[in-house]
Amino acid sequence: MSATRVPDAVNVLLVEDDAVIRRSVQLALERYGYRVDVTGDGLDGLDAVRAGEHDVLILDVMLPGLDGISLCRRVREETLTPILMMSARGDALDVVAGLEAGADDYVVKPVDIPVLVARIRSLLRRATFHERPAAEPAREEPTAAGEPTTSHRHLPAGEAPDLLTFGGLTIDPRGLEVRLDGRPVALTPTELRLLLVFAENPGTVLDRRHLLREVWDYGWEGDTRVVDLCVVRLRKKIGAERIETVRGFGYKLLRG
Amino acid sequence: MTARRTGPHPLDPRSLRWKITALVVLACAAVAVVIGVLVHRSTAEHGERTGRDLAVAQLGAAEQELSRTGRRPDNASLESLAGLPLPLARALEGSTAPGEYALWYDVKAPNWYWMWAAAPVGDGRVLVVRTDMSATVRSLQLLDRSIVKAALAALAVVVPLTVLATERMNRRLRHGARTARRIADGDLDARIGHRGRARDEITEMSAAVDGMAGALQGRLAAEKRFTADVAHELRTPLMGLVTAVGLLPEDDEAAGLVRTQVGALRGLVEDLLEVSRLDAGAESARFDEVPLGDLVDEVAGRGDGDIRLRLTAPATVSTDPRRVERILTNLLANAHRHGAAPVEVTVTGSRITVRDHGPGFPDALLADGPQRFRTGAVERGQGHGLGLTIATGQAAVLGARLTFANAPDGGALATLDLTGP
Repeated sequence: MSATRVPDAVNVLLVEDDAVIRRSVQLALERYGYRVDVTGDGLDGLDAVRAGEHDVLILDVMLPGLDGISLCRRVREETLTPILMMSARGDALDVVAGLEAGADDYVVKPVDIPVLVARIRSLLRRATFHERPAAEPAREEPTAAGEPTTSHRHLPAGEAPDLLTFGGLTIDPRGLEVRLDGRPVALTPTELRLLLVFAENPGTVLDRRHLLREVWDYGWEGDTRVVDLCVVRLRKKIGAERIETVRGFGYKLLRG
Repeated sequence: MTARRTGPHPLDPRSLRWKITALVVLACAAVAVVIGVLVHRSTAEHGERTGRDLAVAQLGAAEQELSRTGRRPDNASLESLAGLPLPLARALEGSTAPGEYALWYDVKAPNWYWMWAAAPVGDGRVLVVRTDMSATVRSLQLLDRSIVKAALAALAVVVPLTVLATERMNRRLRHGARTARRIADGDLDARIGHRGRARDEITEMSAAVDGMAGALQGRLAAEKRFTADVAHELRTPLMGLVTAVGLLPEDDEAAGLVRTQVGALRGLVEDLLEVSRLDAGAESARFDEVPLGDLVDEVAGRGDGDIRLRLTAPATVSTDPRRVERILTNLLANAHRHGAAPVEVTVTGSRITVRDHGPGFPDALLADGPQRFRTGAVERGQGHGLGLTIATGQAAVLGARLTFANAPDGGALATLDLTGP
């Protein structure tokens, strides 16, 4: 396994009750250069989230103390940190509940470490984009085998317009600030990435596969429910009427 | 699936409806014949008696006339015994006393329907009168005819009524048969149910069949649930195993052996889980517009075996790409494992074919479709036969058609037909 080092350590919090999985995932991620905090209990997990600065949270669904879904919901109330759910079920209920609770993506056990790392990188890319405005060159992630489309390059600093306005919604693609009727809207990196993809193509129907590739870096194996539920969360924050569902195709952002 | 006989067509004379109708017709006809014969007989007797009485009265009057005037009346004749028709003469034999007479009903051609009455009047002479019975006979014939007509009219009413009455019964039975076939074809939720107010043997049989289907379904569900639970419980330890194996050194032979086996175990558990999800019928497709060329290209490119890809006007179809990917992955894995190179993948419009150049599908698979844990390979360790079961199950979720055949010039040929809705 070629463990590529991450330039400045990325902090991962892993909440997983099974000791073997917890330790082996920790060791494996550390080989990739991540700093991994672990805890085996939902309530301890919540404390850990509050205590430390983490770049990514990996939450198991079945947890003692506070289950993964509730933990995810509680975490979302306090922070916008990217959340990856890890489920042993993979059936619709677990996945949908996790995504509804605010998770950005999910993986199904047993998951290969390279797949997990790819998911973490994809989440970080969105988060990085959020934290470092487009004026600064986006931090290069270590690439394993031909980095997937890094679509944040669609909006380089020089070309980005100052402000995009859609009715009461204003998006500042440089400052990465979103305001609704003048008040700032707190979006997770994934939601922001999704909104920016929409804002690049206002009034255009974007199919879910396209969004899945652009924002989540998934190929055909990706689950489009991830997109649907992120759209649901985004609508809650910016107003349901702004993103229109085109049945059988996808979504579009209304121009004004 | 082979086409099966679906019982007699409603117009088939072997249909239960026509059997019941025939029975009703037979019963009606029997009743009509018996009553007709009785009426005919009693009417005929009555007519004969009237004729006899008339003849006897005429004979008496003629005798009186003869004894009073010595001449016979016009309607009577005097004959010698030898001149009489033979049956009448025989009936008169031995009756010579005055007041005795003989009767003979002549129904023979050419003297049809005469009632003869004869009395000896001495000197070997016989006084004979005869009454025309043809009016009585004709009215009897008319009666017969009207009895037949009435019987036919009754049948004309009864037969359609019977057909109509059996129709409901027939329909219930056909519905039951149809439901049983649906259950046999895999729709385990199908039930005959109870419609209407009828409480008869059909209701009883329907309830029994429904009960049987429910019991079988319950047992099947319990077994499937067990498989699903086992596979699910295996997932957590397997995840630890998979991750821990990833930590072992790459260049160690023993670690390589463990890695291979963990991979195989993992494949088996995932396949079992997928099969149980498909069995549970909990899967539903999420449709997207999918350019088949791109999808197949991507999936074929991901596999490690040698694949020859040919795209002929690949269509964009509304389907669930993840499921198409699962089908294709399993077909390709099967081709590589059981077939021989080269493996050819062809996309023509909305149809995908996977063909290898191995020994082809076993006959059992071609006849019954894929069966789990039955690979047709005599030697063990040649895969667990779940791949094609999964492919078939996923195709069913998609509403697509997956068929297995052997190419005329050898090799297995699987065809996935994704005709868009």
